[in-house]
Amino acid sequence: MHKYIIRRVLQFIPMLFLVTVLVFGLAKAAPGDVLSGEMLDPNIPHEVLEQRREALGLNDPIHIQYWNWLSAVAQGDLGTSMQYANRPVMDLIQARVMNTVYLAIFSLVVTLAVAIPIGIYSAQRKYSLFDYGATTFAFLGLATPNFFAGLLAIWLLSFQFGWFPAQGTTSAVGLSGFELFVDKLRHLVLPGFTLGLASTAVYMRYMRTEILEIKGSDFIRTAHAKGLTKNSVLYKHTLRNALIPIITLLGFEFGFLLSGAVITEAVFNYPGIGTLFLNSISNRDYPVIMAINLILAVTILLGNLLADIFYAVVDPRIRYD
Amino acid sequence: MKFSKFWLMLILSLSLVFVLAACGDDEEASGDTEEDDTATEDDATEDDGEDATEEDDDAEEGDSGEAQQGGTITAGMYSAPGHQFNPLFYSDAYEANILSFTHESLVQLNEELEYEPSLAHDWEINDDFTTITFHLNEGVKWHDGEDFTADDVYFTYATIADPDYVATGGVRTNYVVGLKGYEEYVNGETDVFEGVEVIDDHTVAFHYEEENIKMLFDTSFIIVPAHPFEGMEISEIPDSSASRDAGEVVGTGPYHLSDMIEGEQYVLTAFEDYWQGTPYLDGITWRVIQQSVMPGLLESGELDMIAEPNGVPASDFERVDGLENITTFETQDFGYQYMGFKFHHRTTEDVESGTINPDNWVENEKLSDVRVRQAIVSAINRQGIVDGLLYGLGSVMEAPFPEASWAYDPDAVTEYPYDPDRANELLDEAGYVDVTGDGMREDPDGNEWVLNLDYPTGNEVRERTAPIIADELGEVGINVNLRQPREAGPHFDAIEQDNNDFDLYLAGWSLAVGDPDPAGIWQSTAAYNYTRWNDETSDELIRKAVTAPDAFEQDYRAEVYNDWAAHVSEEVPMVFLYSADNIYAYNSALQNVKELPAGIYQDSHLWYLAQ
Repeated sequence: MHKYIIRRVLQFIPMLFLVTVLVFGLAKAAPGDVLSGEMLDPNIPHEVLEQRREALGLNDPIHIQYWNWLSAVAQGDLGTSMQYANRPVMDLIQARVMNTVYLAIFSLVVTLAVAIPIGIYSAQRKYSLFDYGATTFAFLGLATPNFFAGLLAIWLLSFQFGWFPAQGTTSAVGLSGFELFVDKLRHLVLPGFTLGLASTAVYMRYMRTEILEIKGSDFIRTAHAKGLTKNSVLYKHTLRNALIPIITLLGFEFGFLLSGAVITEAVFNYPGIGTLFLNSISNRDYPVIMAINLILAVTILLGNLLADIFYAVVDPRIRYD
Repeated sequence: MKFSKFWLMLILSLSLVFVLAACGDDEEASGDTEEDDTATEDDATEDDGEDATEEDDDAEEGDSGEAQQGGTITAGMYSAPGHQFNPLFYSDAYEANILSFTHESLVQLNEELEYEPSLAHDWEINDDFTTITFHLNEGVKWHDGEDFTADDVYFTYATIADPDYVATGGVRTNYVVGLKGYEEYVNGETDVFEGVEVIDDHTVAFHYEEENIKMLFDTSFIIVPAHPFEGMEISEIPDSSASRDAGEVVGTGPYHLSDMIEGEQYVLTAFEDYWQGTPYLDGITWRVIQQSVMPGLLESGELDMIAEPNGVPASDFERVDGLENITTFETQDFGYQYMGFKFHHRTTEDVESGTINPDNWVENEKLSDVRVRQAIVSAINRQGIVDGLLYGLGSVMEAPFPEASWAYDPDAVTEYPYDPDRANELLDEAGYVDVTGDGMREDPDGNEWVLNLDYPTGNEVRERTAPIIADELGEVGINVNLRQPREAGPHFDAIEQDNNDFDLYLAGWSLAVGDPDPAGIWQSTAAYNYTRWNDETSDELIRKAVTAPDAFEQDYRAEVYNDWAAHVSEEVPMVFLYSADNIYAYNSALQNVKELPAGIYQDSHLWYLAQ
């Protein structure tokens, strides 16, 4: 097991290298740079922009720029943002990363808490009214774009009923302790549900299908024949096996949640990594783009590794040597 | 058993939702009590009597009732500031929003867009217009209690002139290049910046190399305190806490940035020792919000103000204007959107070496006939664009001066109302007729005549004008090749690095009217002269309007600008598409808001909430 983990972690290095080369190349291939947008204020002398380009190293050949970036990162320095007047990239990310993590965890918990029980129940009561209802909900959830679901939630639950705040992560500065916790939680509800909507639908369908498939397999029939109770068969045998694909999905999910929250974060003006990422791309802020990409790549790779390890925990047939 | 577990879970999660929702009601309730508190506080102030009336004298514009102390307002903007709260290095309009309340300049613009006193109460200009001497107000305090002095003025300008300023990220060198001794100072040859002379604590003189008729504009930069940055290298300033952190940023303005949640809220608190009197409001909280929910937040009262940089979108105006608790104010933006004609293209060598030399330019013969350009502007229904896409909230212009400017004169220019017949006539006259019978005109030699139209994404209204323009030009037989839009940044790069086949392009200028001098965009040798229009008469008039000694008279300058505007409208170097209105909205309870052409932020210390 240890050997397996070490081998996998070592494999990360070339993969991360390839990812950064690719992203850097693509980002640079897109026309324009961080100063392109500033050319609309004729009060800024034109020569100044050229001097800024030179100072930022934007006029160097691309391989030199990549090498400069890589050698800095190898020493643990993610660089400074070009857009935010030389602010360290770590600083920008630190200010936002916890918001995104809270949102990801909240949405994941909601997703699993809703999807798994409904999935199981749907499978148990195949073709019942509940099952059809859940299926309809699943397809609606999949078909509704995030931004629409978000705006609908704001309109209904915030503007009409006034239950939850529509924007941001906290309502006022200076809150602390339990008050702050509740306030943050209330701000998480709308974006959390919006973000979790599509994956809830997916997980629900997976769960239902898996359980139905496993229910028909030989070892379940054997278990029933042994005289085990219905519940024992369901929870000890069926569910354990049905969870395997869910774990695979979860491995990807975390990376997706960190990066894929772009739209949701924008609709709810929830300042997290997603909005920073979007903003840095449209402003060609390479150091920030590269840093977020690196973090996402590491998260996704780690997520997959964790998923592989959990397989072994859930399914005793799987062993890594 | 399992059913009960399932239902238990469902009930638990639902009850969590309701508990959280219930908390929400609590909070709203507590919000109400807060308002009540404010009300009682106000009663208390009224009991004090004397104070309130005294301060009321200052509030000359107060039309209804007495100014009342207390209360906070919440203002919204659509994007988060980039967290550089040092005016020397700030770069975005959202930071500028905060800085308008926390910092001040020596002079400020009044209703006629002329400069009036602010931190300086008075000034003299010497006879040959090379020196301006400011007398600063005494008793002005920085937010941290230090006195504001002439040394701070010197520090501000010397920093901009510093050799490391641009490399550190500063872009405002236009304010110092004309000052005496700039070359020596920026090259590091001397430690003393001759251009700004501290005469005593409250007198400072600016010396210019040559006579300067725009001195007041050049000295209108925001003043930054020297003491928080003492002993720092220039390169350390943008990253220091006095440039970045709430509570540490120091200005002289009526409010100070006391707290913030990055990307969400920026809390401005009244500065009690403000030199023009303690602000009536206790504070202003800026919240970053999504544009689509803005009208809803205004309606529910969660938001009291929407102002710069984007204000209320024209498409939301009707709804916001219809809200009973909201007052709106529209004023013409100083910038404008236009369709440029590429008169010339630069050669590849010039683009690569960054040379702007009209002698090397290659003429774009497709557009060199003035009748063609007049035909194009006549064929475009600009009023239709303003009515249809801007809901009427904008103006059609013929020359680049906004109505509020003293350089504006509607009678000076040739107007081009929408007139396709006139366009057809002009084109026929110029010899551009359809010889192949395909409905599209050929050039006078009978060759194919196609105009490429390039446009950027990013500004939705402008984006939507492109196909309309292509259609309307098609109707008078002009074959327009409407190309795929680009992202704004790359589009503007392509307009600038113009060794390409651009003929028509859409773009816009966002301008702050400090001085109407159009040289930065219109002088043929200006880097920003993207149309590459090379016209001697225009160049000469632009120079004439700023040449001493006549140009010291504003009336004389206005006259020259009228001549120039007439020439521009005759030659049509670009089609001025529209200039959109800035639409501000604020809570009707907020009193004493000065509605100026340059915005509504001036004298915010006099704002108060009517009960």
